[in-house]
This record gives sequence, C-alpha cells and structure tokens, in this order.
Amino acid sequence: MNKHINLLLLATENLLRHKAKTIVVCLCIIAILTPFITAIAISEGIRAQSLISLNADADLYLTFDEFGRNAAIPLKYLDEIKKIFGVTKAIPRIIGRAFIQNKLAVIVGINKEDLPESISCISGRIFENPNEVVVGHELAGHFHLKISDQFSMRGQQRKTFTVVGFFSSDVSIWGASMLLMSFKDAGELFGKQDVATDIQIHTLPGHNSEIATDLYDILQSEPYRLQDKQMIGLYFTKGFMLKEGIFSALYIVAFALGVPAILVVSGFGLSERRKEIGIMKATGWQTLEVLELISFEQLLISLLGATIAILLSMLWVKGFNGAFIAQFFVAEITMLPKFTLPARFLPLPCLLSFFFAFLLTMVGSVYSSWRASTVSPVMSMR
Amino acid sequence: MIRTEGLCKSYSHYSRHEVRALYDVHVTISKNSFVVLNGPSGSGKTTLLNIIGTLDRPTAGKVFLYGEEITTFSDIALARLRREKIGFIFQDFHLIPRLTSWENVSYPLIPSGIGFRERFERAKFLLEKMELGDRLDHTPEELSGGQQQRVAIARALINNPGIIIADEPTSNIDEDTSTRVLELLTELKSRGVTILVTTHDFHFEKIADVVYKMKNGRIEC
Repeated sequence: MNKHINLLLLATENLLRHKAKTIVVCLCIIAILTPFITAIAISEGIRAQSLISLNADADLYLTFDEFGRNAAIPLKYLDEIKKIFGVTKAIPRIIGRAFIQNKLAVIVGINKEDLPESISCISGRIFENPNEVVVGHELAGHFHLKISDQFSMRGQQRKTFTVVGFFSSDVSIWGASMLLMSFKDAGELFGKQDVATDIQIHTLPGHNSEIATDLYDILQSEPYRLQDKQMIGLYFTKGFMLKEGIFSALYIVAFALGVPAILVVSGFGLSERRKEIGIMKATGWQTLEVLELISFEQLLISLLGATIAILLSMLWVKGFNGAFIAQFFVAEITMLPKFTLPARFLPLPCLLSFFFAFLLTMVGSVYSSWRASTVSPVMSMR
Repeated sequence: MIRTEGLCKSYSHYSRHEVRALYDVHVTISKNSFVVLNGPSGSGKTTLLNIIGTLDRPTAGKVFLYGEEITTFSDIALARLRREKIGFIFQDFHLIPRLTSWENVSYPLIPSGIGFRERFERAKFLLEKMELGDRLDHTPEELSGGQQQRVAIARALINNPGIIIADEPTSNIDEDTSTRVLELLTELKSRGVTILVTTHDFHFEKIADVVYKMKNGRIEC
C-alpha cells in the first residue's frame, strides 16, 4: 500500500514540476470537454422541462388527422367529450405561430380559466377582455413592450392586441417567445372559428382505455388521432436522444481530429521522459511500477481537467446562459438566449467526461512509456 | 560472486551490418574484490558492464550473480536484483534534471514503499558522507560535475548494494574529485562491497585486486 501512496504522491509532484506540460494538457482536455458537458447539460435540462410540462398537462391529447399530421378538431364534439365518464376536464386550445414584425411568436389561445397553474404573471394581469394578450418575457424584452402597448401581427392587421401582462413559467423555455390570448381571439387571429388545434383531456386515473373506447364511438366516422402522455413523452425522449446523438456524432468527429494534437501535446518532452524511465529502470524500478506512476499522472491530470471543464460548463450555463451552444438544442433562438436556459448536470455525463479525458491522456502517454520501459534500460537512457 | 561464460553481444537494430561488441567473454570476480576493466574506446567495456549489471541482455552466453544464472531471469526479477543488490555509477551521472540531490538519491526507494521521512533521512545521511550536506535541495544543474558524480554515487549506495558497478566514473570530473571518488570506492570495498569499474585512470589500477584488459570485445588478460 505504501508503494502505491508513494507513487501517487510522486505523480502529483511530477505534475507540479512539469507545470507547462500539465497546463497545456489540461487546457486541451478543457477545450474538448467543456462544450460537450455544457451541451449534454442543456439537453438534459430541456428534456427535464419537457417532462415536467408533460406531467403537469393533460392525460390525453385529441386532434384530427390530416395527411398523417395533426389537424384542427371541430369544437362541436367538445360537449360530448366532457360528458364521457372519467373525463374531469376537456380544454380546447389553439396553438399556432405568427410573426410580430420579423420575430416568430408562438400563439396560445386558451380560455382564461383553463390556463395551467404553472403560468403566472410577473407583472400586469391575465387577459380578461377581447384583444388582450399576455406576453412571454423574451418577446417582451425583444420589442421593449410595456403594459398597454398595442401591436398587430405581420400580415394580419385586422386585429390589434393590447399588452396587459407579462408572464413567466416553470418551463422557461416554452414561455419565452409565447403570446397568451383568449381562445376566441386566437380563433379570430387565424381565421378559424369553431375549431381547436387540440383538445386536452384530463382524466381520472385508470380510465384512459374506456375513454378511448367512448371517443371512438363519438368520432368513429372522423379521422381523429388520440395520444396519451406516455406517447408524447416517448416523442420527447426520442427527439432529444436524436439531437444528443447528432451532437455527439459531430463531436466525436471533432474529437477524433483533435486526438493527434493531444498526442503531440501529451508526448511533450518525451525524450526527457524516456531517459528518466531508463534511469528508473536502471535503479530498480519495475515496468509495472513505471506504468503505475504514469497512469497516476494521467489520472490526476484527467481529474483536474475534467473537474475544471465541469466547473466551466456550469459557469457557461449559469453565468452566460449557454451562449452560442443553446442553438444546437433549441430551435429559433438567438446566440445569446434571452430566457433562462434549463440545464441539468447529471453524474453520468460528468463521469464519462472524466473517462474520456483519462482515455485520451493514456493513449497519448502509456504506449510510449510502455515502450521506453520494456526495452533495456541502456536503450532508454541513450 | 560474478561469473560470465562465453558472453557474446551483437547489435543490429538500426544497421544493415551486425556489430559485435563482445566475443566469448569469460570473467570471474570474487566477492569483496576491486576489479578494473580497461581498454580502448569501443573495446566492449561498457557493454560487458551493462550485461553484468543486468541493464542489457547478452546475445549468447551466461552470467552468474551470487551463484544464480541471471540471463534467464524475467524483467521483474532483474529489476528486483538491480534494486536490492547492484548500485550503478554512470559516466554521464544520469541524474534526473528536475529533481533535487536528495530526491535523486532517494528515487530508487520510492517503489519499495519507504516513507518520505525515511527516504529523506537516508539520502541526507549519504549526501553528508559525500560532503554534500549543504546541497540537499540543489538540482543537478546547480551542481558541478564532481558534485553530480557524488550525488550519483550516493544514489548507487542508497539500497546498500553488495556490488557497485561504475562506468568511467571519473572521466567527466576534475582530478581532485577523481581522487575523492577513488577514496569512496576504496572505502566501500573495505566495507565488503564488490567493485567493478571501467576506467582509463591509472590510479584505479594501482589499488585494484584484478585488472582485465579488453580489446575488440575480448578479454586479453
């Protein structure tokens, strides 16, 4: 045991003695790992928010199906749906997109009493009268909107809206560019009366299959689509896994291209090291002891590099709100997101980062050290 | 104590031509003797020393140390032998540049699991004996050639070896320091250590028990 402690302490001393090399290798590890950890943290954060919003929302989502896509559902079925046994609430919504000047906004039309509890006004009030809107904070910031300001949508001048409040949401990412208005106003805005883009159905636990049967009876002659929470959750998860996968694949390519650079950097001072290994062997060190020392050095440098990379990632997300990297995961946002970007630093990606760093530095050093320590000491000392 | 039988060594790694450094070398060195190997450059002295000291392996022949044939030993066994029984003094000192004197001296003790305090005390004791007590924290570049050689000697002695192998230990140092090195080796011999030295220095021959002369990879006498 004392031998291993000695080797660990010596590895620490060696890193301190080779400050320049240690710093350069650490910087390489940090440069490679920081964007990766940040991206994964943002992706996990968004995924978590998606699941939070999903769990807080309805149990079933009902739409029509047109050309294999979701389509608007007529409101004439709403009353019948509400009467189904097990349905506690059926909420029609209109969700669409419209431009305010050059900026795309998400329009949510919903009756005031049906607004989710997670949405609350940070200033002003919720809409009560026709043509009143509540604006998400990013949109408000972008147009410097104030309470009682008026505006129209691009290309739809027939309605003028008045800002009556600004809202925040537990799921910041969805609320940032959102405009909330009454269901009726949204229908008028898009010129579609008596339809909803979907109906959210809240149910009593365990009644979904009976409700689905009843819906079939009601809508059997119509092309409808019914999705439950688990299916939506699956879409979310699949979507994020795909995005993470694409990002990881691109990153691995960059990583592979960077490996030769790291090899050169971590092999820095190799001839000096080779001679040192020769001296160690000549004075009685065994090959395994030499390799253990080198491994401890790489372990420590990886731990240091990965820890700094994780801390910098946290700073990147918390301090700089994921600037420049959030675009990979959130569509239609600027390089500097104007809402608080969700992020989660899970243990597994952090451990994997450390593992990557260790692997990288080991690849750069162990083979050359192993070669130096397996030839005769005389050869190494030359 | 040390015996070689039919030792041959040839090199052909980076050359199309095989270079033969040793031909059928037979040497016997008894315990607690002071043996000098001399001969012109390229005669094979260093190669013979390296093979006896287990730093290199012969192409053919056998080496016996303490009655055991070591040419068949594994690398691990050879490393253990070097650690416990053999101390080396090199012509170019071979100190690790970033380490201080005491760290260089105590370096071979690290894999033995000896703690920091004991390593320091043992290195300090030997360096004080080498009259380098005031140079414990100096790196090699802060020391003269003679001082570096004394640090290297201290390192060779740190494990109390039974054999000291010195390859031209005085060729890079001044005459006064050479005399000091010779005195140190003589003192070691008086304490029962077997000394094997290659040198051109005639002072060593004067006090040697046996002098082997080498030429073209062979022992001449």
